[in-house]
Formats: sequence, C-alpha cells, structure tokens
Amino acid sequence: MITTIEETTLPGVAETGVEASVGMGLSALAAAPDRLTAILGSCVGVTVYCPALRLGMLSHVLLPDSRGRSGHPAKFADSAVRHMCSTLAARGAKPDELLAKIAGGARMFGRGVHTRIGEENVRAAVAALDSAGVRIVAREVGGDIGRRISFDLSTGSVTVESIGRESRTM
Amino acid sequence: MTLLCRESHITCGDLRGLFAAATREASEAMRRWTNSPIELTLDEVRELPLEDACGRLGVGDEHFAMVAHTIDDVVGGTLVLMFDKDNGRRLAASLLGKGSQNGGGWSEMEISALTETGNILSCAYVNAITRLIDRRLVPSVPYFVSDYGASVLQQAFAAHASLRDAMLVCRTGFHHAGDELSWLLIFIPTIALREAMEDAFVHLP
Repeated sequence: MITTIEETTLPGVAETGVEASVGMGLSALAAAPDRLTAILGSCVGVTVYCPALRLGMLSHVLLPDSRGRSGHPAKFADSAVRHMCSTLAARGAKPDELLAKIAGGARMFGRGVHTRIGEENVRAAVAALDSAGVRIVAREVGGDIGRRISFDLSTGSVTVESIGRESRTM
Repeated sequence: MTLLCRESHITCGDLRGLFAAATREASEAMRRWTNSPIELTLDEVRELPLEDACGRLGVGDEHFAMVAHTIDDVVGGTLVLMFDKDNGRRLAASLLGKGSQNGGGWSEMEISALTETGNILSCAYVNAITRLIDRRLVPSVPYFVSDYGASVLQQAFAAHASLRDAMLVCRTGFHHAGDELSWLLIFIPTIALREAMEDAFVHLP
C-alpha cells in the first residue's frame, strides 16, 4: 500500500490497492512496491526517485512559477521540486542520489497565449531540477497528445501511455 | 459549463440565471442543426476543488472526442464540448445520415460533423453571453481533439488556476426525446469575463 502520501490530507489522491492517482496540483510520496499515476495534458508529471531507498515522489505540476501565489507546492514547478527534494531528504535520501523523470507539457489545442502553458511547464520543471542539482535521466514531453503515466516505486521506471500509441517505459 | 469562481457575493445559484438564456439559445441552435428534439438543461451549479475537478466531472482517463474553442482575450475563456466515443459516433452518424462506425479512428466526415456541432453550440453560448455583458466575444476556430478528457481540460484549467484553487461548475446536460445523452459542455471564463458576468447580474432589472 502507499506508505505515505504527505502529512496532510490530499483530497485528490485516491488509493486503489497499490496504485494511487495524483490529482492536479498535488504530489504524493510512496515506496516500493507501490505505483503512482497521473493523467497529463499541459500539466507536467515530475518524478523524483531515490534508488537506494526505493522511495520517490510524483508531482502533478499545473503551472510554471509560484511567485507568491497560493496553493499546494506541487501546483507550481519551482515549489514542487523544492518540496519533493526536502521531503525526500527528510526521509534520508541524499540529494546527489536523486533521479528525475518528466513527462507531459503538451499543447492539446489552440494557438492563443494560454495554450503555451505546457511548454512553459516543461521549461520551468527542467530549470527547477537543474537548480536543485537533481539529474534528469529521462523525459517524454511536448507534442499534442495526452499521457497517462505510471511511476513504479520498485524500479523507478515511468510508463507512459497515450491513446492510439504503444506504451513506452522510461 | 465550468466557471472559475472568485470571492464574490454572487452565489452559484445567482449565476444559474445568467446562463439560462445562453442554454435556451444553444438548445434552439442544436434542434435546428440536428433536426431532432435535442434539449439542453443547466443541470447543476457547484464549486469544485481544482485538484479533483476532472474526477468530480467524471472525466479521467476515458477516451473522449472533444471540440474546443478559445476566446483569446482578457475577457475570454475556453469552451469544450465532450462526447464519449459511442455518443460521438452516434451523433456523427445521425448528422451524416449513415450507420455508425464501430471502430477505428475518426473519419474526416465524422470530425467535420462533430466540429460543426461544437461550433454551433459554442457560438450560441458566446452570442448569448455577448448580449448579456454587452461586449463582443470572438471565439477561435474549433479544435477537434480525440484524447483523454482530463488532458484537454487541464490546459483550460491551467490558464485560470493561478488565482484560485476552486472552480464553480455548471453542468449542462443534453437530452434527446426525453433520454439523457452522455455529452458535456464545459465553459471556463477568464476572471475578467467572470467579473463582467457578475456585473451584468448586479444590473439586471
């Protein structure tokens, strides 16, 4: 079962056996053998994994930049990465051992200013991970497709599914 | 329809009235377009937490056919008409006057039929809101998307999520000859449009 999902109640997280879905703007902490999932469009799923502890987090990032705005830290790329690093460090993970993977950041429709949010989310997530010194080992981002990701805490692998395409594991 | 809510003395119930005219107009447009007794009803108005908005709307990793319009202005927003695959196929078949396809991708004719449906519906809503707030709103061309419903909605939510963590949800239902159809129309206005609608409410006779 999911060992810990933050210290606070997360209404967007629904446990279903060993798999929990992480809602928009939320994050979850879990350990092997559990899995965390998210549905992504313009949102970016950022996973940070500690192989030594087989412990990791998934943040379902909605927006690039917190800049004094309210909400759960996982809502914004910059605060999400800080939150995940500090939460994992508090559980004994060493920062230089953490491995990150990112997915999502699509432009699902449209050409207006609000439709570029996916690209901005990806840029912000990469910058935040670089700034925190967390190595990005895989990414599947951009395009105009929805993605369902499944983060396996036993291995750190992230499986990406899209409608009409073969699933990919990274 | 889904509206982003601000701190306001205007209640969810008050806002129902603002959309009654738009719903009637869209209903009439759909009857003319489909040449069938389709009726739209504003079924409920409620506020939902952002992180669970898709779940409460019953939109997750299911496959939907969607037609999205954006109104790319400060006073703007996003409209999304959603069908599950079966309902989308049935509507397209009905509009094209032929039997429903069972599987495979969407044909160009089906996409065209569904896109035009979204266009007619969205324009009816936008026209009604334009008259209400006395300001011209210009929707984009329609975008047809066949994908996870939540993937599409989150892009629309993201444009408005920085200011609040909850949204006012107004669900519009569709009925055909008394039977409920699994269609969903979601409208997410910008904060400025929301405020314009509230101002219009205050000045209603």
